[in-house]
Amino acid sequence: MKKLITMVSAIALSAGMAAAEPSGTFRQAHELGFGAQSSLDPISKGRVFQITEKIMSRLVRPGLDGKPQADLATSWEANEDATVWTFKLREGVMFHDGSTFEAADVVYSLNRVLDPESDSPARSAVKMITEVKALDGMTVQITLDTPFADMPLQLMDYRLRMLNEGSGDTIAMTGNGTGPFKVEKFDAEGTTTLVANPDYWEGAPGVARMEIIGIADGQARLQALLGGQIDMERGITAQQQVMLKGSDKFNVQVIPTGNWRGLVFRTDVEPFSDIRVRQAVRMAADREELVALVLGGEGVVACDTPVEPNDQYRAALSCPQDIEKAKVLLAEAGYPDGIDIDVHVATLEPTWPTLAVAYQEQAAAAGIRVNVVQAPTDGYWSEVWMKKDVAATRWNERPADQALHEIYLSTAKWNESYYKDEKLDAMLGDARRELDFDKRKAIYVAAQEHLLETAGTLIPYTVTKLIGVSSRVSNLDEVKNDAVRWHMITVE
Amino acid sequence: MLAMLLRRLFLGLVTVWIVSMIIFAGVEMLPGDSCTAFLEREAKGKLLENCREAQGLNRPAAERYFDWATSAARGDLGISANGEKSIAELVGDRLGNSLLLAACSLALGVPLAIFLGVVTGLWRDRPVDLAVSTLAIFAMTIPEFVSATVLILVFSVWLGWLPGIVLTSASAPASEFFPEIILPVLVLTMVMTAHILRMVRSSVIEVMAGDYIQMATLKGVPYWRIVFRHALPNALLPAINVVALTIAWLLGGVVVIEVVFNYPGLGRMMIDAISDRDLPVVQAIALIVATVYVCVNLSADILTMFANPRLRTLHMRRG
Repeated sequence: MKKLITMVSAIALSAGMAAAEPSGTFRQAHELGFGAQSSLDPISKGRVFQITEKIMSRLVRPGLDGKPQADLATSWEANEDATVWTFKLREGVMFHDGSTFEAADVVYSLNRVLDPESDSPARSAVKMITEVKALDGMTVQITLDTPFADMPLQLMDYRLRMLNEGSGDTIAMTGNGTGPFKVEKFDAEGTTTLVANPDYWEGAPGVARMEIIGIADGQARLQALLGGQIDMERGITAQQQVMLKGSDKFNVQVIPTGNWRGLVFRTDVEPFSDIRVRQAVRMAADREELVALVLGGEGVVACDTPVEPNDQYRAALSCPQDIEKAKVLLAEAGYPDGIDIDVHVATLEPTWPTLAVAYQEQAAAAGIRVNVVQAPTDGYWSEVWMKKDVAATRWNERPADQALHEIYLSTAKWNESYYKDEKLDAMLGDARRELDFDKRKAIYVAAQEHLLETAGTLIPYTVTKLIGVSSRVSNLDEVKNDAVRWHMITVE
Repeated sequence: MLAMLLRRLFLGLVTVWIVSMIIFAGVEMLPGDSCTAFLEREAKGKLLENCREAQGLNRPAAERYFDWATSAARGDLGISANGEKSIAELVGDRLGNSLLLAACSLALGVPLAIFLGVVTGLWRDRPVDLAVSTLAIFAMTIPEFVSATVLILVFSVWLGWLPGIVLTSASAPASEFFPEIILPVLVLTMVMTAHILRMVRSSVIEVMAGDYIQMATLKGVPYWRIVFRHALPNALLPAINVVALTIAWLLGGVVVIEVVFNYPGLGRMMIDAISDRDLPVVQAIALIVATVYVCVNLSADILTMFANPRLRTLHMRRG
């Protein structure tokens, strides 16, 4: 039996859009997270994704429904056991510098990510790849070290952008890609200007110019939006949206994401090495109330699963607060008088202290006496996280398989709760090998149920993103950053 | 006089050197380094090694300080973390912008403060004095980030007259900062005017009560002649030092104002550099700010000395 997956690009360009000349300037801020180390290299830690997403393309991108959609690859198929994947590339695509996009560029770009010497953070998304080979000028073959039915999902990673062969040393400043916009001037700390790429394969963009402006202070970004100096701000808080909703000059998009914040209880230390204590500390949380208190209602309850609400593999779980059962579990584990724990937080993530204090109130009823410890933001990741017994954490969304592998696999580099469970390891391996979607989904669901039973990580919710947009902007897709078709938007 | 100047200059150099050591030690003692700050939770294994290698962080702290100090003494402050620009150039742009902000605020604030100070001093305890002094107390005590936010709300969001945030890039020529610079200048003017005004007011009051002013009045010298010829030159002397301190404060980077308005000056650069653990940049800025303080204080002392013959002879006898 030969499994064949073929994708046809279904890009609905309205006739009017395609014909119009690009016009106007769209302005957006970025938070300048990496200062002088900011870069246009998509796989560098310092990548400014607000720029790379507009100037470079992937082989596969998420469609508006989140499923894999053709980008620079037009179709793909796997061999019988999904260990060898063949991608057909799009003809006639050109880089901004005029060179043609072909198989050698794909081989170069992927090998650059996989290079163990540079150890790029993007590597973990595709480290199952053992070989990338050009079969001909427009066909690429990717060999994996494991059967993996969802390989195209991994290639949607926002960092896996296709670069021109040999451009690795200069890409950080040039940003030479195949995307709808070209870099005119890169100035991360000031204003980066992009101009429309008339040769973009989906047609010329709607706006002529984009300005991506570095504004480190969140309050300053909001004020720039309110004062009409920028057109969009992704990352409005629930409190701030009140200011925008009252005005006809702005629209607010509400986008559920898979980004989550939570508390990690290390499973390798007392008392959390006892599974009953882990269940009790998670059961003591009232997640609905946490969403209301910490996020102003802008979130989706999660039952300790790192899989995002809209993911096809998300398990439908239920996890109401159960104080009585938590008390019983603690007593059975040998703590009839409850336990005292130090929860470490920092203002690195502004919602952590609120989350910890709200949890403190809730857990007190079950005899879990929480002492909230404020750690300095500087050095939080190196000195507190994965060091202290209980610490706050945060993760950005990943495909289900990647999230489960990166956070819970026994051998994972970022296994923050030191969770070692042979059963889960086996399930994750089985899921990748399973080629039937329904059976595969059943395994991922079982893995999430297993985590709700055994994990040390409290994941109370996923965060819903609020995006403030000036009403002069039209056609901005109401989806996650990652899937927005930037060439579609227009401004008055 | 010359010997005194030389001694002060030498002491200034020593001060700058000590400041650079304290800053270096302080940043070293903070948890983490520029690589862990950059890589956050990915600061592990090969990636961390590569980063430390590239930035020369493998070497002992003393050795790095020595290297930095010797090249800084030659005028070479190093290159930025992405290897694109010289730090001297980057810091130079920011210093220029902070100078522009300071110059505009001083040009507006100092004459205003002296004028109001003299008025309130001469009309002590009259309605005009009470009104201005009360306003000054408010301007001094409201934190600048509050007044900044209120001004942005009123002039940028509600009225739409002025841009709220500075979006001009750091290397742009001064003319491009208008009109974005107006709101930060207004906020700074409010704060510093209040300080200088109160100093001038009390010294005007003190001088006007002096014996020689009474003598002049008794001799029948016209009131305005007394004020301008005899009182003001003496009353403004103490103001020189306050103005000098204000200048140093403005040049040292008015951090809060620069962050709130996103103004690309030294203060914002300093904040960013510290959170990124970008030691060469932190050092370069500390050097500049320390030098500014030393120079401004020195020139204020010299100015005061020229204006006040008693101090001049005192120093000459000692020196």
